[in-house]
Amino acid sequence: VRGADRGRELEALLELSRRARTKLDRLHDVLTSGGHYGKGATPAQLVYSENKLRLLRLVDDEGKPRVGPPVLFVPAPVSRYFIIDLLPGRSFAGYIAAAGFDVFIADFGEPTREDRFNDLEYYVEGLVRRSVRKVCALSGQPRINVVGYCLGGTLSLLYAALHPASVSRLVLLTTTVDGDVQGGIPWVAHRMGLAAESYENPRLVPAADIKSWFEMLAPGSNSVVGRINDLWDRLDDTPDRLRDVRTMASWVDDVVPASGRLLAELYGQFGPGKNALMRGTARVGERVVDLGALTMPVLAVSAEKDSIAPPAGVDAIRSIVPHAQVLRLPGGHVGIVAGRTAAALWQKTSEFLAATPG
Amino acid sequence: VAEGTPEVEPTLVERWLQDQQEWQRTLRAYFDSMVKDDDFLVNLGNAMRGSLLAGKPYPAGGAAAASAPAPADERLDQVLFALNKLQGQLQDLFMTLEEISHRLNGTAPASAPLTPKQRATAKPIVSPKPRASSKPVRAPRAKAAPTRKPRARA
Repeated sequence: VRGADRGRELEALLELSRRARTKLDRLHDVLTSGGHYGKGATPAQLVYSENKLRLLRLVDDEGKPRVGPPVLFVPAPVSRYFIIDLLPGRSFAGYIAAAGFDVFIADFGEPTREDRFNDLEYYVEGLVRRSVRKVCALSGQPRINVVGYCLGGTLSLLYAALHPASVSRLVLLTTTVDGDVQGGIPWVAHRMGLAAESYENPRLVPAADIKSWFEMLAPGSNSVVGRINDLWDRLDDTPDRLRDVRTMASWVDDVVPASGRLLAELYGQFGPGKNALMRGTARVGERVVDLGALTMPVLAVSAEKDSIAPPAGVDAIRSIVPHAQVLRLPGGHVGIVAGRTAAALWQKTSEFLAATPG
Repeated sequence: VAEGTPEVEPTLVERWLQDQQEWQRTLRAYFDSMVKDDDFLVNLGNAMRGSLLAGKPYPAGGAAAASAPAPADERLDQVLFALNKLQGQLQDLFMTLEEISHRLNGTAPASAPLTPKQRATAKPIVSPKPRASSKPVRAPRAKAAPTRKPRARA
């Protein structure tokens, strides 16, 4: 009997060995195979650049710009733009383009040391405004649709309030407007010392610092052991699925440094206890932002399981822009834009952009 | 091992030896990649901390940042920042001139297709082919899809 037990133990050991080796072989394949990590999935042309900003225009398979109402996507300047255009067949921007729109994406790029002085005005009145201007010029339209994601939504909201005549419809995706709602990235950043960022003597906030804030929000993701366990479990997936996971990981883990002046200003105006949007005291440079100027149709989308921008802080736009449509979708901050259930958001956005008279 | 089938089913010992050979092959593949592919070590390092981030190291913490050399000259950064702002103002100026030029010529500011000059300077960014495995989510070119407004005549 003891011999038979020993035999079974060895068989089990052999099976464990085989499975571990298979996972390591799969990991090797994934780590050595190519992909378009860090770039968009849909063919695009560079139509404008300024400092680190690249304005991309999606084109069709023949390299021609699409014909249709223009839409400008404004992603968050602290992460890579390509979450908007993640994978062939899983691209928000690609879906909107296929629905009959002329799609542009603002890629803010990766700031370097001198960009630590870039403030809110530089982004809103500089990069975003000139991007809109360029899109208007290229499309021949006086007004365009603007879709802002996360912090890009904050920039879009401020821009639209300052220049309402150039925006026909505004979509804000997981954009916090009520900074007093507990949780999310402003509160974590607050606890991690964002208040100490200096406006006068800003630093280039390292990507690792920003990454640590996001890691604080995702239970387990700040534990190396937990992350390794997750990856080890994932290695049972098919190589194709793993390449998808890798593309997503290359977005989630590849945050960029940020201008300390911008973060100091965002915290000083919109952080916990400041809440300038809700109080109507938001400023961009010398200009006070009048949210009453937002007369265009507005769609605000929150995610039920958003740990970065808590849904209550997003939905609060109802109280400052009463005509805004507010939509809450199942999923997380990233999942609703590029996850497996993201098609719900894409469809709603497409319908909103198409159906609402501009 | 069942009697009568020793030639089709290897013994436990034989399978164990075969497994060892497979492990050697796996480890050799890793060593080969480490030697031949500069990115592989970076990617492997990322994997060893649970990340599949491609092509660049996982954002590292304070030690590297703390040991970063102090800026040689703060003023140089401020000059570069001022130049960047100036570049933006110049771009505004060019855009305004372009709009005026189009108005004087009696054309719309710009049409949807790129001008020959823009086409010449426009750089293709990516042109990936959809993978067979991906399941595209197609946007319906619905009846709701808006039609293009007629060009404004200045």
